[in-house]
Amino acid sequence: MAAPFYDRRRGYVLRVRFGGRGPGKAPDQRKADYGPRTADTGKENHHMPKMDEARKAERLDSLQGRLTKLIADVRTEADIRKKRKMIGEIGNLNRRIDKLKSGRVLSREAKRDLVAYSFIAPNFIGFCVFTLIPIVFAFGLAFLRWDGSNPIEWAGIGNFMKLGDDVFFKAALKNTIIYCVGTVPLTMIASLALAIVLNQKVKGRGIFRTFAFFPYVASLVAITAVWKMLFHPSKGPINNLLYNVFHVAQEDLPQWFSGGLVLVSMILFSVWKYMGYYMVIYLAGLQGISAELYEAASLDGAGTWNKFRYVTWPQLSSTTFFVVVMLTINCFKVYDIAVMLAGGGSGELTTSSTVLVYYIYQKAFVDWDLGYSSAVAMVLFVMVLLVTIIQFVGQARKEKA
Amino acid sequence: MKKKVISMVLAAAMAASLLTGCGDDAQTDGPGSSPEAGTGSDAEKSPEAGTGSEAGGDSQQGGSGEAVTLKWAIWDQETTAYWNDIKKEYEATHEGVTIEMVDLGSSDYMTVLATELSGEGTDFDVVTIKDVPGYATLVQKNTILALDDYIKKDGVDLEKYAGATDQVVVDGKLYELPFRNDFWVLFYNKDLFDAKKVAYPTNDMTFEEYDELARKMTDTTFGAQVYGAHYHTWRSAVQLFGVLDGQHTILDGQYDFFKPYYEMVLNQEKDGVARKYSDLKTEGLHYSAAFSSGDVAMLNMGSWFIATMITNLQTGEYDSELCGNWGIVKYPHAEGVEAGSTLGTITGLAVTSACDTPDAAWEFVKWVSGEEGAKVMASSGNFPAIMTDEVKNMIAGLEGFPADEASKEALSVSNLYLEVPYAPNVSEINSVLDSYHGSIMAGEMSVDEGIEAMNTEVQKILNQ
Amino acid sequence: MKSAHKKAVIGKAAVYIILILIALIMIIPFLWMLSASIKSDREVFQMNPFVWIPENPKWSNYSDIWTKIPFGRFVGNTVYLTVVVTLLQLLTSSFAAYSFAKLHFRHKNGLFLAYIATIAMPWQVYMVPQFIMMRKMGLNDKLLAIICLQAFSAFGVFMMKQFYEGIPDDLCEAARIDGMSEYKIYAKIMLPLSKPALSTLTIFTFVATWNDYLGPLIYLKSQEKKTIQLGLKMFISQYSSDYGLIMAGSVLSLIPVLIVFLVLQKYFVEGVASTGLKG
Repeated sequence: MAAPFYDRRRGYVLRVRFGGRGPGKAPDQRKADYGPRTADTGKENHHMPKMDEARKAERLDSLQGRLTKLIADVRTEADIRKKRKMIGEIGNLNRRIDKLKSGRVLSREAKRDLVAYSFIAPNFIGFCVFTLIPIVFAFGLAFLRWDGSNPIEWAGIGNFMKLGDDVFFKAALKNTIIYCVGTVPLTMIASLALAIVLNQKVKGRGIFRTFAFFPYVASLVAITAVWKMLFHPSKGPINNLLYNVFHVAQEDLPQWFSGGLVLVSMILFSVWKYMGYYMVIYLAGLQGISAELYEAASLDGAGTWNKFRYVTWPQLSSTTFFVVVMLTINCFKVYDIAVMLAGGGSGELTTSSTVLVYYIYQKAFVDWDLGYSSAVAMVLFVMVLLVTIIQFVGQARKEKA
Repeated sequence: MKKKVISMVLAAAMAASLLTGCGDDAQTDGPGSSPEAGTGSDAEKSPEAGTGSEAGGDSQQGGSGEAVTLKWAIWDQETTAYWNDIKKEYEATHEGVTIEMVDLGSSDYMTVLATELSGEGTDFDVVTIKDVPGYATLVQKNTILALDDYIKKDGVDLEKYAGATDQVVVDGKLYELPFRNDFWVLFYNKDLFDAKKVAYPTNDMTFEEYDELARKMTDTTFGAQVYGAHYHTWRSAVQLFGVLDGQHTILDGQYDFFKPYYEMVLNQEKDGVARKYSDLKTEGLHYSAAFSSGDVAMLNMGSWFIATMITNLQTGEYDSELCGNWGIVKYPHAEGVEAGSTLGTITGLAVTSACDTPDAAWEFVKWVSGEEGAKVMASSGNFPAIMTDEVKNMIAGLEGFPADEASKEALSVSNLYLEVPYAPNVSEINSVLDSYHGSIMAGEMSVDEGIEAMNTEVQKILNQ
Repeated sequence: MKSAHKKAVIGKAAVYIILILIALIMIIPFLWMLSASIKSDREVFQMNPFVWIPENPKWSNYSDIWTKIPFGRFVGNTVYLTVVVTLLQLLTSSFAAYSFAKLHFRHKNGLFLAYIATIAMPWQVYMVPQFIMMRKMGLNDKLLAIICLQAFSAFGVFMMKQFYEGIPDDLCEAARIDGMSEYKIYAKIMLPLSKPALSTLTIFTFVATWNDYLGPLIYLKSQEKKTIQLGLKMFISQYSSDYGLIMAGSVLSLIPVLIVFLVLQKYFVEGVASTGLKG
């Protein structure tokens, strides 16, 4: 629950809990609410209504008194729960005092809310219309039978029942999971290793970092076209090397984009393309580890490996958590990679390369079975949710320990 | 001035409605007795008659002869000549009608079209129907109009489509009129045959003879490979050899009849006779690229490729050194099946339900799929849905069409089986067959496993 | 002492060797792309001998791509989309993030929770209903659809909020005491400070929009609306064996993203570090 602090090297740094909300966010943020609004009082005075001045002053006094006491108490209170409650109370008191002082129709906090909402509105309206509403819609759609034009029918859990008997769905689910299980750890290890190497003081590390990030920036369509050339089963340089240098028999040359190997190709490609991205995240994490910890470890006689094990790895645990969650979510979303590496000209995938999102797309936009497509989408959602929750719980437990 | 135009158009409309009636009456007995004469005379009088009737048709719904714009969904405008030809010709003969083409690309045209049409916001008037599964989807989504009333009203004779329309009737109603009807033939590269001193393929070959010939033509020398045969990645290129006997269709739910053909093709792949499916898939190699690079001796492909060959050789897009000397013969056939039995692919036009000017749209559909449209199509080497000897001669007489007699003879079809006839769930069946075709060809499944999977999965769909 | 020095030297050497190897793996596909883009179809797969630069570079690949497909239009569409989406994203999310980070108002936690909850929600889960809705709104086959889709992401708000929380509140408080309005504080104090975060968000948004494939595939149907990714994919399926041309198109499609990345990258690691993206 570290507060943000300024670091000369890194600018403002804040360690955030993923998905965090609540008081951990920033105790100092509430600072603004703590004190009476002395700065404003002078300005607000002339708004005071004329009648009942005396009674008002009396109430104001009592409120101010309570406030001062609360503020004193809150500083000494040890129980975080009570503290939180008190802080809330302080906010309320402040608001009441303000209201009393100004006595305007549009209360101070209403005005404050309006300003705040005006900041949020442009994004929130778009977000609400184009994200929140469709999400709600998606949950409903999974229980309907609809082709997008004819009248909608209620399907109940029929769509979900059908899933169990659907060979293509099962293949898609299986392939997606295999892809995730292969990609997540490999990418994590590769990007961490890369980050550690590039965090050393080596010449030209800026260039190396840039290179490592290139694949992430490159468009999938373009770069998969290159991969398909490099790994071309009969003409590509990789198989050429295997054939000419390692003397692999012609019929034993790997068929990189079909059969069992297609998932391997997808995993390799994915690691190559995205490791640069996660490397940057790890780099940022590494730079947050204080050098003193390493010095202390050195004094204890720790070698490189032990330094990694006892300093780097535990210090990076929240980064790793973030990386793993993001990686898993991104892996479950795989579509383009499969279609472009295994799909050929028409982009059709067979049972050995089909993935969930491809099946969602097919069912929705080719077969126009929107309800069923949404049911598949729900499976995707549940998978992602499960992984996130498991990670979250694991992380929380680790932090406690 | 304006008034004058309007009154003239009105008059023309009245005259035209009389004229069309007569014209169509004449037509009904025309094609039956002597198709050549029928089309001939029709073509001669078409310019005036056509203009009259069209202008009439438009003013009927425009009310005051206002200009009508028809938005028409097509694909690959840049590379396909006839879209523009049709537009030009139709606009020239139909005053006040503007055809606005929207190119939706060919790669997943029907998917895109279904998405386009299923919204309320669509403003397409006429759409091109590329395949039957897509057609089925559009019909089920009520996005295109049944044309029967128009057909009856204008007395369009469906006989002239030689049965093609029967295979796309949905619950007794017809929602498209074909304007192109392609059939599959065998393309071959004469230079390769000459170099090997092997006799050209003939118009009457069994699959055994074809296989033998392909093997004879093959050269596996590294760097100078010649492939005896080439199969595009489409399911039709392999599976549908099986439906040529007329006893099976792809809607059967039992696909054991695919087996000999899968085995033939897979064996050819194994022996280097044909390029590997997995290679083609990796490269996304287009059949045209394969054939035009001059190392493919024989290619089974639809007749649309004739026009492509002619144009691209003329423009120099294809190297005439490599593939300039080509010919076609009829599809090979199984033992005991008549030569000239082949697969057909129809391309049709439909009027959308959302169209504000359905009458004008219908006129356009009727014109394009009628004799006038047929001539436009044939003039660029494409096969119109109305196949007459005249059209055949026109195509065979085109500059760039192979000069030998066999190639001309190859244009005569004895039995035509649609690649995919209509069925309510044809789209799903199609997906299943496509997918397992991929699995078999890529070696992910054995032929037996693949066919078994097709059988079970399609049965599931049929039982629904 | 000497052996320790030796060890250090060997260690350094090992690090460099590893780095160079990794760099090669990362960069070779790009070099291959460049090399193939000036080769003829026949030279592309020639391995014996393999040359990076052919004797007669086929520069015409770079001019042919513009005429074979409406490449110019694709580029135009993509540039338009990317610029608009990036600007909107930067503006609206930094705006909203300022409010979440520095202002106090009712339902703040609830509203922010809505954002957080959707970060872990893959777009693919709701892309179908979203499409149906957009179609109803008449946005099918409109570039506007992609703008609506990309410009209001929860991710941007989340990222910017993390960054703003790292800026001490005292700065804002002081400005408030000086009588500055919140809008002014945002514009005069916060924005100038958020260069690293804005750069990072720009890179992410630019890359995501420029390279997006599935979104445009669903929404953009007609040829003249297509983006560079759709166009390139279409070109690949049409001219599959024209490797030289495909590679030339690919190279061209990479240039803008690379430029944006190279220009902004100096803020990048700092940006990631300060926006809470590292966890």
